[in-house]
Amino acid sequence: MPPVTPGSESSAALIAAIAAGDRDAFSRFYDLTAPMAFGLIRRVLRDPEAAADVLQEVFWQVWQDASRYDPTRGSPEAWLVTRAKTRAIDRLRSMRRRDRTFAAPVDESVAPRREEPAQNPAVVAEDKSLVQTALAQLPEAQRRVIELAFFEGLTQSEIATRLGEPLGTVKTRARLGLDRLRGVLGGERLSAT
Amino acid sequence: MNRDEIGELAAAYALGGLEGEDLARFEALLEAGDQDAVRALRECGDTLVGLAAAAPEPPPPGVKAALMERIAAAPAARPSAPSEAVRPLPRRRPRALWPVVLSGAMAAGLAAVVVGWSVSSTYEKRLDALARDAEQLRAELRGQQAVIAILRDPATQVVALAGLPPAPAARARMMWHAKAGGVFVATGLPAPPEGKAYQLWAIAGGNAPVSAGVFTVDASGTGSLAVRPLPGVSTVNAFAVTLEPAGGLAAPSGDMYLLGRS
Repeated sequence: MPPVTPGSESSAALIAAIAAGDRDAFSRFYDLTAPMAFGLIRRVLRDPEAAADVLQEVFWQVWQDASRYDPTRGSPEAWLVTRAKTRAIDRLRSMRRRDRTFAAPVDESVAPRREEPAQNPAVVAEDKSLVQTALAQLPEAQRRVIELAFFEGLTQSEIATRLGEPLGTVKTRARLGLDRLRGVLGGERLSAT
Repeated sequence: MNRDEIGELAAAYALGGLEGEDLARFEALLEAGDQDAVRALRECGDTLVGLAAAAPEPPPPGVKAALMERIAAAPAARPSAPSEAVRPLPRRRPRALWPVVLSGAMAAGLAAVVVGWSVSSTYEKRLDALARDAEQLRAELRGQQAVIAILRDPATQVVALAGLPPAPAARARMMWHAKAGGVFVATGLPAPPEGKAYQLWAIAGGNAPVSAGVFTVDASGTGSLAVRPLPGVSTVNAFAVTLEPAGGLAAPSGDMYLLGRS
């Protein structure tokens, strides 16, 4: 697996070439970043076929929208990660809606929402040890906020409602959690490569 | 705005959960090229890239092939094509199969409409059935509550009725409350002949019997009747059951099957 260096010259140059219609650049960018994007999508979506579909959609968007990439907002990888995550969560929601329509919606109002804990992707994802290790080093409260936001796509006020915490607390925890994660992942990457 | 606050906005923005006024504020900062905001967002974005990159997974080989084919098939559509109008993904050989893909997509769309319609009509039927069940249960509950209210009231008369020669084994019980009405239960009665039914009578003092309703019995000889308050009847001296024409009569005419005095 080639190491991903966010914001490296090469990925920024590749995006610029893709924007100019360079297919080889697209092919190289795909090889460089698709495993990362697919790992993330699979974390949100367990269904491998749906995940493959989303991966294709995301990279099709990369091809079409490369000219809109704005380097001041972050690295090409960060741009890709945001798109992959957003698309995967959109798909997850539409699958849940469909499942609810075809299951027993009449019972939903009385039955406890039993699927919630099981669908916490951070819990069910198998063998994502490095992510687990990184997240595990966060205090539980910070970890939950990051998981709910990043892997389940909840907004901050939705997270506040879900956890029964004030909005200000959720905001602070998201920032502290990311700060901490940055430190943890920095160390991990050094030791892993 | 202090740096902590900018850090919070950037974290939420990168995680995708920023909304409303906060989102507008942060986008304004980015538009204005605020260095703290830009730096904070970059850091957060790179952290999330690090998180994603920590668990890479090899993508299925077909995805890249499909993408490259798609790109080769539609170079002219790029880069002016609107990004949000992402079409359903043709899985293989999109160029040669466009008509098939399009008609397939239309068929899928139609199928979705039909399935959606049939699902919703199925659920409408289910909801109707449940509403009817609920109404029936509520009616039963009201009946039971009325019975319990009658039983609990000390003013309620309980009258036992005994079988007369046409049905000596028959027994019945009347719980009677002048204002609330009453509940009558009989057992051991023979099934009435075709076109006939049992009629319950309330006899108060020297007045003529007043009809309290008509009932029939099931195969085991059991029948029951909910009796409404009878106009002009308060304390009842006796209840009687006679066999009458199916709809009942204004005054008893047939054989008496049960009689009980209070």
